[in-house]
This record gives sequence, C-alpha cells and structure tokens, in this order.
Amino acid sequence: MPNRDEVARLTDHAQIEGLADELLPALIAKLGATGLAELEVREGDWKVRLRRSADASTAGPRAPSGRGAKPAPGQAGHGDHAHSAAADVAHGPYRLAATSPAVGIYHPRPEISSGSRVRTGDRIGSVDVLGITQEVVAPVNGIVGAGLVESGDAVEYGQQLVWIELISTPVERTGRDA
Amino acid sequence: MFSKILIANRGEIAVRILRACRTLGVEAVVAYSEADRESLAVQQADEAICIGPADAKRSYLLAPAVISAAIVSGCDAIHPGYGFLSEDEGFAEVVRAHRLTFIGPPPQVLERFASKEATRRLLGAHGLATIPGSNGMLRDDLHGLEEAQRIGYPVLIKPSAGGGGKGMRMVRTPRELEAALKICRSEARAAFGDDSLYLEKWLDDNRHVEVQVAVDRFGHGVHLGERDCSVQRRHQKFLEEAPTPALGDAARKELAERALKAVVAAGYENVGTLEFLVDPVGNAYFIEINCRIQVEHPVTEMLTGIDLVVTQIRIAAGEPLGFSQADVSVRGHALEFRINAEDSRHDFRPSTGVVERYVAPGGPGVRVDSHLFTGYEVPSFYDSLLGKVIVWGPDRPTAIARSLVALDELVVDGVVTNIAIHQALLRNEIFLAGQMTTNFVDRVGSAAFLAAAAR
Repeated sequence: MPNRDEVARLTDHAQIEGLADELLPALIAKLGATGLAELEVREGDWKVRLRRSADASTAGPRAPSGRGAKPAPGQAGHGDHAHSAAADVAHGPYRLAATSPAVGIYHPRPEISSGSRVRTGDRIGSVDVLGITQEVVAPVNGIVGAGLVESGDAVEYGQQLVWIELISTPVERTGRDA
Repeated sequence: MFSKILIANRGEIAVRILRACRTLGVEAVVAYSEADRESLAVQQADEAICIGPADAKRSYLLAPAVISAAIVSGCDAIHPGYGFLSEDEGFAEVVRAHRLTFIGPPPQVLERFASKEATRRLLGAHGLATIPGSNGMLRDDLHGLEEAQRIGYPVLIKPSAGGGGKGMRMVRTPRELEAALKICRSEARAAFGDDSLYLEKWLDDNRHVEVQVAVDRFGHGVHLGERDCSVQRRHQKFLEEAPTPALGDAARKELAERALKAVVAAGYENVGTLEFLVDPVGNAYFIEINCRIQVEHPVTEMLTGIDLVVTQIRIAAGEPLGFSQADVSVRGHALEFRINAEDSRHDFRPSTGVVERYVAPGGPGVRVDSHLFTGYEVPSFYDSLLGKVIVWGPDRPTAIARSLVALDELVVDGVVTNIAIHQALLRNEIFLAGQMTTNFVDRVGSAAFLAAAAR
C-alpha cells in the first residue's frame, strides 16, 4: 500500500528545499531592494514570509521549516559555537550566510577569502564528517564577507558559516509576483 | 561512568533520557533535527546540536551525522532511545569503531539477536517454547505458501526488521497470504528499508505478555516481572499494564524466571524485553526480544521503583548491576496509556497542529512522560506519540479508578488525540474483567467502543 503520508511528506520536503535554494535568495534581494519591512509569497500550500529584523539587517537566512517560514528562534545552549555570532558582525543591507550541510568540522577553502567574488553553488569550504568531506557552497552570487566561525571549528547542520554580500540591483516592482 | 552522553532521539524519550543523565550527574547533549528545534528536550538540554533536516533519514537515522555530533560535542556515549537506530547492530559497530559507547547491548550481542528467526531458535535451544514459524526468511511467494501450508493457517506475516505493526498481517487462506505478502513487503521496505518477511503461527485469542530483564556484563541478571500489552490496534500497542491479568502469580514468576535463565545463558547483556504470546490456557510462546528500552518501560518502573534508563546506562558503562533478584519487589498495579496525536473517531489518522493548551494530570500514583507544552507544534514528520500517562494503584481496580480521573484531567487542546479510546476501554467489560486479547479491539471495532462509552 503506498504510504500517502510519506509521499506527501517527501514532496513537501522537496518543495521546501526548492524554496530554500531558488526562491529565498531572490526574495531576500528583493526585500532589501524595496525597503519593505515584510514580504510574503505563496506557492501551492506553502507560504514564505520574510521579515526585516529590528536592526534592519537582512531577514533570517534559515530555510523554512514546517508550514510557513518562521524566523529561527534563539538556539538552546550550544557550547562554544553560538549562533548569535551573526549579531556581532557589522551588517550590510543585502547578504546571505552560507550554511553548514552537516554536523562536523569546518574548513574554509584557502583560496577563498573575504572579498572573493563567488557564484551560486561555488564551493567555498567544507565540513568534515567522520573523514568524509561535504561541500559548503555559496547560496547566492556575491562577494565573500565576514566569516562567522574559524577553520577547525565544530559546526552543526544549518549553522551560518560565512556571509555572502549580495550583488543586487534594486528591483522596482514589489511583493507577490515571484 | 560516561562523562557526556549524546541523546540521539526526540519526543518524550529524549526528555526521559535527559532526566536519567541528570540523575546520574552525567552531562548530556540533545541531537535534534530542524523540525525539533523548539522541542522540550532541546529547550531543557544544557547543550543541543542540530544534526540534519526534518526528514529522519537525513537526521535521526543518519549514522554519520549522529556519530559526528557525538564526537564534535565531546561525548563518549550515545543513547539511541527506541526506534530510529536503537537496534541497528551496524550502527552500534560503527559507534564502537569511533571509540564511543552505544548505550544498549554491545554490538556482538545485538548481532547475535538481530534476526528474529535465529533468536527464536537460539532461545528455543535454551529452554523457551517458541511459536511455530517459517524456516528462515521467505524467499518468494511460493516459499511463503509452502511454509504457511506446513505451519497451518492462520499465520501472521512479520517483517524481520522493525516493529510497530508495520508490514504485519494475519491471514487465514493461501489467497489472503498471496495478496498480503505484497503489501507487507512494500510496507516493510518503506518503513525499515528491509523487506524480508517471515511467518508465525497465529493463535486466535492470544495475549501479549513480555518479560523485562536486566543483565550486566558479568552475566548477573534479574527479571523485573512482566507487562501485558494485549491491548493493540492493528498490532500496535496502545495500553500496557502489569501485572498481567492473564496469568496467576505462580505462572508469572515461572515465566519470568525461565525467560531470564534463557537470555543469560544465550549471552544477552543490558536491559531487554522478551515478548511472548500466551494462549487461552496459559501456555507462553516466545516470539521476539527487544534489545532496547521500550516505550512501556515506566509500567515496570512504577511497580519496582527501579529506574530502567539509569540501569541501562550503568550496564553500558560496564558497572555491575548492584542489586539481585531478592532486591526486586513488584508492588501494586500499573497502567500506561499512550497518548497519540491521532483521531480515534476517524480511523486513527495522524493529526498535527499547535497545542493550544496542555494540562498534565496529577495525584497519587500518576506519572506523565511527555514532551508537550502549551504552544508546542506537533510536527508531521515523525510518529504520533505525544506522551504517556502512567498510573499506579495498590490493586487493579484502584489503578483503573485513578486512571479515569487522570485521563479526565488531561487536556491537550489544538491537536486531536486518542484519549477517548482509553476512556472507552476503561469502561469496557472485557477490559475490566482483564480478559483482553490482542485481537479484541480490532474485532469489536474502535467505533463500537467509542459509541458504547458515549451511551
């Protein structure tokens, strides 16, 4: 008997991933360009809402989880590698963090440094998971900004590693046409 | 003892293991998926680490992620809870290869008991009566038909891996068998990634009785009595109690002692549960062993006062048991109600949503193991267990009376739950007489229970 829940779940998951990979960077650029405080997009059963945080930096970079994207809440105590590091960094208006694909030890690529120009999908570092390397890729076209963790640091899945400053041209239209 | 333990599970059992670690004074790290970022275990943990996305195959079931999390957070042991990686001998072996300890039986012991069919033969050789079954796994449909013919209908199709009723069907004719084999195979493949099936003789009107054991590394073992898990819906337990109303005191003691003797002789180590089918005249047939902590372990804790999760961790750390059979006394009667996010009025379909209001019951003998809180969003990715209400009384009628009060006090607003089916059961004559069998809920039909209770 085909397990309908399971199929629906996997489909949903694929949809979220699609949203995270393709839609989010574009939306963030758009939100930054328009000066709006909030932007909401619906696609099928899914809804993504981006909200500019109080300090006017970019909206939360985490992929949506569950129904409707919520900004990620504060982490529970997490030893040495605190996620709140992001808040200490001088913020630009349009940027997105490259995140860890797995839990392991982070190593940036030596030839990539602050100021390097990268394209979406470019490998900018790696996370070592029990000796297996998993790539960290640029989530968007841009310029490598400040690092949020050091080489050799333990990182968790989804952790922000390095900022990518977006290269975007202001978009005139607003809102719901994505 | 370990210095730091990674809890590689979620829901109520993650909270339960966290409590055991704190009782032992051992630090704990909760490994979680993105869907459980706001879970109670993560909130309560001193340390938590995200291991992957909501999809369990990429988080709770992904061995490298779990082991990597343990290493980078400085843990020296991993507690797998139940389900997920808890009985995966390959996982236990890789954990050991990374010089970490798997909290459960050592890998070589898990391997010895990995195949249900081989375990039946092993424990059969050590004095347990076993249920007649197929000779090994079914090679194909034809082999299944031949084996069923030899064993005699009705037979139960069972998957070699996993539990929880998935991939299980009872059939009474060759025609039913042929149709069901296909369904079971695809269910087992989807649920466990392994579609090997075997057959067991089906006893009509059987009772499900299981014996809890604890055996340390030095071969010193105790049994902690039995539990009755006959109340099932489509082979899934949802109400457990002890002592079993199916057997008298002497028969209960004899069964538990025989079970313990067999597993110690077969080289078992750590806490474990031996499951038996008991026929209407009291014969007990061994069916399988669960090499992990079980959902229903609190029933035994209520009766004996022994913390089974602490015991499990101590044994895994190489400590001696520290108590003997004479120190174990079983007092009173306990029932456990699994509170599931499922709609008993609509074929038990799973429900999700935000818990708008949660009020846990209390009073003498009432314990609640749950990860719920007001505002918690029940994710759709995992099983539907929201928690367990466990009620103790000096005798069965008192425990039942307290249970009715406790279930009445329990409030879970915002998510549809199965509380009503428990309340209906507690008013059912067969249940009150202690005469429930594993097929009785399905035979009567859940709808009939609910209707009877509503009258």
